[in-house]
Amino acid sequence: MQRRMANLNIWTVSATAIIILLFLPNLTIVAGFFTPTNDNWEHMKEFVLWKFVKTSLILISITALSTIFIGLSLAWLVAQYQFPLRRFLKWALILPLSIPPFIGAYTYHGIFNYTGIIQTALREGLGMRLNPAHFDIMNLPGAIFIYTIFLYPYVYTITQVFLSKQSASLIESTRLLGKGPWQTFFQVVIPISRISIIGGASLVVLEVLNDYGVVKYYGIQTFTTAIFQTWFGLGDLESSIKLAASLMGFVILILLIEKIMRGKRRYSYATTKVRPLSLIPLTGWKGFAAASYGFLVLTLGFFIPVLQLADWTILTFGTIPLEEFMAYAGNSVAVAGISASLIIILALVVGNFSRLVHGRLAKLLPKLTVLGYSIPGAVIAVAAVTSFIALDRFLAPLYRMAGFETTLVLSVSLVLLITAFIIRFFAIGFHSIETGYDKIGTDFRDASRLLGAGLTKTFFKIDVPMLKGAIFSGFILVFIDVLKEIPLTLILRPFNFDTLSTKAFQYASDEKIMEASQASLLIVGISALAIVLFYKFLEKELD
Amino acid sequence: MYVAIENVCFSYSRKSAAALDKFSLTIHKGEVISILGKSGSGKSTLLRLLAGLEKPEKGSFKIEDKVLFDDKTFLQPEKRGIGMVFQDYALFPHLTVAENILFGLFRLKKAEKKKRLQEVLELVELEGYGKRYPHQLSGGQQQRIAIARAIAPNPSLILLDEPFSNLDAELQEKIRKDLRDILKKADITSIFVTHDEKDAYVLADRIVKIQDGRINFIGRPCDMLDTYSQAALSSKETVAEEELVRI
Repeated sequence: MQRRMANLNIWTVSATAIIILLFLPNLTIVAGFFTPTNDNWEHMKEFVLWKFVKTSLILISITALSTIFIGLSLAWLVAQYQFPLRRFLKWALILPLSIPPFIGAYTYHGIFNYTGIIQTALREGLGMRLNPAHFDIMNLPGAIFIYTIFLYPYVYTITQVFLSKQSASLIESTRLLGKGPWQTFFQVVIPISRISIIGGASLVVLEVLNDYGVVKYYGIQTFTTAIFQTWFGLGDLESSIKLAASLMGFVILILLIEKIMRGKRRYSYATTKVRPLSLIPLTGWKGFAAASYGFLVLTLGFFIPVLQLADWTILTFGTIPLEEFMAYAGNSVAVAGISASLIIILALVVGNFSRLVHGRLAKLLPKLTVLGYSIPGAVIAVAAVTSFIALDRFLAPLYRMAGFETTLVLSVSLVLLITAFIIRFFAIGFHSIETGYDKIGTDFRDASRLLGAGLTKTFFKIDVPMLKGAIFSGFILVFIDVLKEIPLTLILRPFNFDTLSTKAFQYASDEKIMEASQASLLIVGISALAIVLFYKFLEKELD
Repeated sequence: MYVAIENVCFSYSRKSAAALDKFSLTIHKGEVISILGKSGSGKSTLLRLLAGLEKPEKGSFKIEDKVLFDDKTFLQPEKRGIGMVFQDYALFPHLTVAENILFGLFRLKKAEKKKRLQEVLELVELEGYGKRYPHQLSGGQQQRIAIARAIAPNPSLILLDEPFSNLDAELQEKIRKDLRDILKKADITSIFVTHDEKDAYVLADRIVKIQDGRINFIGRPCDMLDTYSQAALSSKETVAEEELVRI
């Protein structure tokens, strides 16, 4: 391998450094698991740990099943049938993804609570006497409903893209062999799309495990909430590291299960000339039923919450001073912009490195950083804080020399928050950049070098301009994710530093649901816009 | 000798068999060499080694006493002054034809750049195409621009990787002759690899046959006639024969 590292240079050095830095904090968690235990931990292990595991298991398994049900059925309808509104629903059904589940959670709570539109209408409009308990959604089933309705697009998009790439002959021959539509669905469609279903569902599961906003707001005890409670409530960082390590083990277990369930990866058709499915028209009540089903899901997952948020925004308009609002909108854009730019720059360096070097280790290293996205925000928060406190201790003499009064400098600054974002979302940007590098191949780079340009000049003159599309899409994806992010921002931000998402979350937690709407609507608006742009972009690429 | 390649050995991994085994070859200035072999014979590996895109295990490579690699030295591709025409041309899609050609001319002064650009465009008979983008050109035109780009910085050696594999069969015959004319007019030393004997007959001053990483024949195209059955040169080969007569 040494020989093949002909290009050992600044690129190799910096890429290795980036990968290690991205991965190091996670190792502190693993190391923390093996430190001596204290009373809190013993107590938790005995009484509550099992409860978190049970709740988390219920949440992820039922959510996974229900998102598969909705996502797969919609994907199949859109891929195989022609019915009213199909063209619109095809892309609109992704929109619920633009609503972060915690915003959806408090919006639906606002709709269903005592002063909400439903109870008020029934009470005052119809004069009914209601038991408010019947309308309580702040419980486990409520949380599952929220996750399902806002996360099903993960299953829907992946499966729908997969199904529309399938050869028509595969499905058609099933029909010709005498199988009805239902038999086709269960005997052919589900088995062939297994990989994409599992892929989508595991994204859902990871999102649920990562989530803090919904469960915190609904008062459900999960791993994530327990980590923060132990940390801030009990002030016991050591035990929360142990909890984080357990959660990480849990996630790794899920990734392993996913890998096993995927089985041997089967590729779809090698030939490029696959005749796409021709749509079967659904007429009469069947067409109406299909359209209604799609529209109902879209209404629950997008229209209702957006309309409610818009209504509240109009009601409360002016109660939050514009300057204040602009300040935290500005913070959001700044943090998301800086994080996304840094991630893209780092991803370009690491991507270039993994392309330059042939060795197996060099190929494996970048894959490690991708783990970050599977690791829940709570774990990364703990990891980042522990690492930064250690770093501050190490740098303390320097601080004294510089005349700081305190020894905690970096760990109370934005550097901490942005570092945590980079660890958490690096995979998103990297994936986009890596795909871009794969697409352009190595010939252009080689051609440039043979024309006398060094690696660095080649990078700026050839690689970067050719990667423009990948850079753009990677940036947008990371930007949106940071904008919506809640636990890391909430925990790691500097004192008095607010963003759209933290402000929305705080207002909602203080039962000022209406005041939370402006910030939420802005987040949803930006995300929805990005999703639509993206969809159009993707559609062009597929053509 | 102008180009001297000696005892070059290379394998892609420790376990796999040698992709190139003790390869030695000397080349005169201005000579056109064809490396002829099946896929997997090691011919493309040779080009990549000469270009500096792979690092050899052993051996040396000199052009006019300048060491490009030996036991101690390994010059990076950008320091070698070798041009290469890639199989799929690798024209930078975000740059115009002129910008593609100028890419390698960054050491020249502005006026010189312009002059050289005109020269090479004339050489490949594509004057007036400077402002177009690669995707606005036909396959044959793209190839000629790729050659112009490779020749523009006056490389001491030019490497061509399967120069005809991406062209229509009808185009191939004409372009073979054109390419030979261009290379001869520019008086440039060149090595091109191909799996097609016809290419080698028409273009090369000398043919090097390579199999399993070893040379099993070196000679002029006319010397090769004996080693091949007449079937290889059927009546379709009239163009090739004409060329042979000329050589």
